[in-house]
Amino acid sequence: MEILVNLDVMMARRKISSGELAERIGITSANLSVLKTGKAKAIRFSTLMALCHELGCQPGDILEFRDDP
Amino acid sequence: MNWNKDKSLLLTRICTALFAVLLLALDLGCCWAMRWFVKLRGLDGSSVRCFVATVYACSIFAWLLLWRLWMLLGNIRRGEVFTADNVSCLRAVSWCCAGAAAICLVSALYYPSFLMVAAAAGFMCLIVRVVKNVFQQAVAMKSELDLTI
Repeated sequence: MEILVNLDVMMARRKISSGELAERIGITSANLSVLKTGKAKAIRFSTLMALCHELGCQPGDILEFRDDP
Repeated sequence: MNWNKDKSLLLTRICTALFAVLLLALDLGCCWAMRWFVKLRGLDGSSVRCFVATVYACSIFAWLLLWRLWMLLGNIRRGEVFTADNVSCLRAVSWCCAGAAAICLVSALYYPSFLMVAAAAGFMCLIVRVVKNVFQQAVAMKSELDLTI
């Protein structure tokens, strides 16, 4: 049971680089990398809102719940 | 006087160094001091060796404690407060207090007043353990906060 972060998929669809996205939403590239690689333990609503705004998507497009098989 | 956390930390470091100097003085003049104490209290002259053994045994724990305390203060000065290293320092300090308490408890067999010292050391061990548990919790919270994006 886990929450997957599909940020890289959305970034590829929008053709936006990590550096550019990080700059637009006001976080460091290192923190964006933590988020992309699924190492983050939590995400702030403000960060999620900024991501959805910049990528033009819904939170569900970035986060995905996967249950145990 | 403009008091701040840096000056407070400096004062703590000075006090730690002062305790180290006092401990060194006790170690160097232990035999003389214990002979004087035994004479003053009118105790049996043969108990001097027991007193010296107790002081030197406790001194080992006291040196370890001061060393770990010094390391802890150094880490805090560098801004590394809630780290696993500091939890380990506090754990060591707590065990040093427990060790000294155990020695004093045994020493109470020949000089019952050591029971008071054992109780004080045991209580200090308990306080430091609680602080250690708080630090441990804080380390976990900091880790979670650091990974909140």
